[in-house]
Amino acid sequence: MKTEPFVVNVGPQHPSTHGVFRLRVTLDGERIVDADMIVGYLHRSMEKLAESRTYTQNIPFTDRVDYLAAMANNLAYCMAVEKLAGIEVPPRGQFLRVIMAELQRLANHAMAIGAFLNDCGAFYTPFQWMFREREHILDLFEMAGGARLTVNYMRIGGVSYDIPPEFMPAAQALLKEMPQRISEYEALLMENEILIARTRNIGVLPADLAIASSVSGPVLRGSGVAWDIRKADPYCVYDQLDFDIPVGTRGDCYDRFLVRMEELRQSVHILEQALDMLPGGPASVPVPLALRPPPGEVYARIEAPKGELGFYVVSDGSPHPYRWHIRAPSFINLTPLKDMVVGLTLADAIITLGSIDITLGEVDR
Amino acid sequence: MDDTGAVVAFWILTVMTLGAALMVVIVRNLLHAVLSLILSFIGVAGLYITLSADFVAVTQVLIYAGAISVLILFAMMLTPRAARDNAETFLQGPALVLAGMTAATIAGVAAATDWSEASRGPFTETAQAIGEALLNRYVLPFEIASVLLLAAMVGAIVLVRED
Amino acid sequence: MLFLAEWWDLRDLGNPVGKFLEVLSDHGPGWLPYVASGIIGCVAIVLFLVPSQMVIVWAERRLIGRIQARLGPNRTGPWGIFQTIADTIKLLAKEAITTRHVDRWVFWLAPIFIFVPGITVFAVLPFGEGMVLADLNVGVLFLAAVGSINAIIVFMAGWSSNNKYALLGAMREVSMLISYEIPQVLTLLGAVVFTNTMSLSGVVQWQDHYNTWLVFLQPLALVIYLISAGVEINRSPTDIAEAESEIVAGYHTEYSGIKFGFFYAGEYFAGFAIAAVVASLYLGGWTFWGLEEWVPGWLIFLGKLYLVFWLFIWLRGTLPRLRADQLMAFTWKFLLPLTLVNLFVGGLEVLIWQENDLSAGLVLPVFAIINLALAVGLTVAWARFLGHGGPDSRPRRALLMKEVGAIVYGQEP
Repeated sequence: MKTEPFVVNVGPQHPSTHGVFRLRVTLDGERIVDADMIVGYLHRSMEKLAESRTYTQNIPFTDRVDYLAAMANNLAYCMAVEKLAGIEVPPRGQFLRVIMAELQRLANHAMAIGAFLNDCGAFYTPFQWMFREREHILDLFEMAGGARLTVNYMRIGGVSYDIPPEFMPAAQALLKEMPQRISEYEALLMENEILIARTRNIGVLPADLAIASSVSGPVLRGSGVAWDIRKADPYCVYDQLDFDIPVGTRGDCYDRFLVRMEELRQSVHILEQALDMLPGGPASVPVPLALRPPPGEVYARIEAPKGELGFYVVSDGSPHPYRWHIRAPSFINLTPLKDMVVGLTLADAIITLGSIDITLGEVDR
Repeated sequence: MDDTGAVVAFWILTVMTLGAALMVVIVRNLLHAVLSLILSFIGVAGLYITLSADFVAVTQVLIYAGAISVLILFAMMLTPRAARDNAETFLQGPALVLAGMTAATIAGVAAATDWSEASRGPFTETAQAIGEALLNRYVLPFEIASVLLLAAMVGAIVLVRED
Repeated sequence: MLFLAEWWDLRDLGNPVGKFLEVLSDHGPGWLPYVASGIIGCVAIVLFLVPSQMVIVWAERRLIGRIQARLGPNRTGPWGIFQTIADTIKLLAKEAITTRHVDRWVFWLAPIFIFVPGITVFAVLPFGEGMVLADLNVGVLFLAAVGSINAIIVFMAGWSSNNKYALLGAMREVSMLISYEIPQVLTLLGAVVFTNTMSLSGVVQWQDHYNTWLVFLQPLALVIYLISAGVEINRSPTDIAEAESEIVAGYHTEYSGIKFGFFYAGEYFAGFAIAAVVASLYLGGWTFWGLEEWVPGWLIFLGKLYLVFWLFIWLRGTLPRLRADQLMAFTWKFLLPLTLVNLFVGGLEVLIWQENDLSAGLVLPVFAIINLALAVGLTVAWARFLGHGGPDSRPRRALLMKEVGAIVYGQEP
């Protein structure tokens, strides 16, 4: 029977493309034969805008890059500028940074898993459950930094404010109930026959393609490559903390989901250690308002919840950066999307996109 | 038919069925034609009820309006120019003549027959009688029909296989 | 039976209606009671359905809120009870956009006809003893027949919208509906095999006579019917046609305003119809082993109806959605053989029972145990045979590594 492929436009306005993402697929029946992604709907020319602001004024920009994991962006940028200017952050500041980064990882994975299950059709139930934890974490952020989502907490040289006294008991309470909550989610989700049928062997990313496309984060680990910047290129105080990296074996959506669930547990473990080991002392060193780092270039990277987030900053001695580039993990992780999606049905393509966990602010900057 | 309700129902159903059937051949849009056909199927089911054939009426709705109309709709979807005005063809003249002759034949035969009214016995359930007939007396045609349906299903699967 | 024939004895709703018709026939022409009884029946059904739907929409939102650890509607009135009225007013006030190239007639008629299967089914459902609008003797087949019209209406809606997504949704929906009609009809027949009558009030009376509910004799049929009927009415976890996260809203993408409200309400009416069918056929209808002498039978029936609908709400809040082709494979490869075997075994049991003229009290418990064991065993065995439940569907954990650099792609944990 002769059939003709036809083109379907998914997005930019769509309930499940996690933002204004446009995917133009060519369908033959129900199978995708070609996929073309068109991004740029959220481009705000941040990198250009940053060239006319001082280094400290650029920190709120980094919040808005990946607005669902603001602390991580702040951290990467501050590390880059500190590397460039040769500023040393005191130990308390380092530990506070690690604590905030790991809390952000918990919040981000809660949202990522929730949104992924939403795409699978679980009608917001896991999403709402995970948002309970995310609400607690956002309350902690509000305690520490004053804002919930775009926190703007880190500064060059440390953090903006030291944590208030009510932070520690609240964080301890959260960490005490997290393992039990994670077990609840695992009990609801991991053995669900429908979920396994929807996500097993869907959106497979082989390890060689993953490495060749320079994906990172849970996507890379789900494909079986044990690579985590916290272990490979330790920053802050991660070399003093003990944790494991979860790795999948098949590179399908289910393995990426498993990796994120396990990273929740590992983050809780790191947080427990970090909260115990938190030293006293100053939380940040004072840094001049118009910081003039010596001319040079630097690339600093962290393991953001979505992957390897890097900042490439070129300075020419003036208070404004000469070039300010973000290596956004969501954008790079989308590189092998076409290969992952060809041959699947449209529903599976949406699930695959959900399992890569993109934020359009990062993709488009 | 001495019952007022039955007479009223008969006339309403007749108008519905014949009107829908007429619309099938008159409307220009293929989807409208198929939907009118479905309406006429339902009208025929109503006429079966006025004839006390309860099982056949419900089966008519189930099979014709439920399944065969879906088949016709799928066939309509595979027709390339289904939504456009497609009624003009050079065969209109001969088709009209042929249809006229067929209608005249049927009308003539119907008028010339001596119709006798069947005696109206008490209402009996037909489902049981049909079931017994299908499985006792007419079991061979029943089985052959099922084999035919199986062949159709296998043929359909073979047609759409990728390899 | 403590039923009185007085008109105020509401345990049998036929009493006040009968009294009213008597009054009418005294004061009016001969055909008036006949027409009036039909009208009263229809009005009663609509009066039951519309407020029920409003209450159930509110109840569903609150229940799903409870499942999702949140409150649900709580602003419009105490406990948000006016939420449905607020929603209806909102839908009425919205602009009913009709895009340019739609097929006007079909586009406008589809949301009106979507109610037809849902409401018509109620004509044959017995709310109580003798409280049925049209006691057809092919009632069970009538249910299947009217339900099959749903496919046409959905197709009408999707095709006339002139929208690729709507058409995709409508095609998926139609193929799913016609596939799931088969297990639906066969499981309904599974109940009919025992009761020897296709009239629904006859089935309920059979259950009353033998003091048992058909759910004990046909557990597999009940489960399969719930699944198939849930698919027929587009209820999650099988709401592919309106899969919000995939093809926006499927066949009713282009409908806005009150037309969408009609589709939404029509889904609930159909849901009530399915729940009522399950309540009459499998759960004993208005009987409750003697309780119906005190509590009105129709209240018991409504209680069972809402219980089944609560099950649908529970499933919606919990399970993710299956893909369309997985659903198809599920019905053709898994459900259909199970229903056929169930029908065959049921027929065999009835044959043994009738031929040897055994007593019901002896035979029915044996049948119940055999059928339950068969249901569980057959489901598990057939699933294993088809390959489900194998090592591929075992849940796994991610490997935990201490050092970076290893590549474990393709290795089995």
